[in-house]
Amino acid sequence: MNFFAIMDTSGSAMQAERMRAEVVAANMANAETTRTSAGGPYRRQMVVFAANQGDATLADTFNDQGNANLQSASAATAFSTAGPASVAPGVRIDQVVEDTAPPLKRYDPGHPDAGPDGYVEYPDINPLTEMVDLMGATRAYSLNGSAVQAEKNMIASALEIAKS
Amino acid sequence: MDAIKDMELPISTRLSEQLTRYLDLAATQAKLTAVNMANIDTPGYRAIGMDFNAEMQNALQSVDSREPSFPAHVTLTEGLVARPDGNNVSMDREGMNLAESQLKFKTGIALLRQEYQRVMDAIHADGK
Repeated sequence: MNFFAIMDTSGSAMQAERMRAEVVAANMANAETTRTSAGGPYRRQMVVFAANQGDATLADTFNDQGNANLQSASAATAFSTAGPASVAPGVRIDQVVEDTAPPLKRYDPGHPDAGPDGYVEYPDINPLTEMVDLMGATRAYSLNGSAVQAEKNMIASALEIAKS
Repeated sequence: MDAIKDMELPISTRLSEQLTRYLDLAATQAKLTAVNMANIDTPGYRAIGMDFNAEMQNALQSVDSREPSFPAHVTLTEGLVARPDGNNVSMDREGMNLAESQLKFKTGIALLRQEYQRVMDAIHADGK
């Protein structure tokens, strides 16, 4: 049993949650951005998490092809405790998607980005949604942080065996 | 031949072998909990776990029959309420599981230390 692999698992989650918080921060910072390099107003970004498969035997338990399939697959598959896995099982950011919702239109004919009808397109960002997302990211981050703490304690207590 | 085998000096006792398996299982349980915790926000993820008692029973039998240890069976945890995104990891449940496996691990370490101390005492039994 490799304890550092367990810490990698929790570490991958902390990394992913921090990325999520960064994306939320970018969304809130750009709530009024009407100009982007792609043209048009800023579009809200969202991260999509995916379970990291880790080594092959654990991958079989993650195989999400329906419940019944999974049950039989995971019952037959042993969880590998020996040998280092090239990738620790955990979580990764699968992709960062853009919100496809239409931009909000505000009448402001004096604005340099106003269209011919005098409306300016602003990003559709709801601060409440972003704050809830940020809170979720913070909580998940600290949950995994305390998991790392617990794993450190277990490593420390394993070292106790060697002490007389 | 059997006489020699009977005289084999048991530095690693039956109890220490059992405790080794116990520690392995506690660490595996911690690992599964860590994987579940890492995926607390992954859409469609289903919590995984293992039957600790059943695995421990198997491990005790394998110690007595002098078989090598084998990996624990991982199954999907049943009876959890899934969120609208299909994820059924419960933060509280995983937190409790982690605390439990941590305590199991510490218990195993304490007992194993005591067992090794017992062997040490036997080694130093001639006094001085």
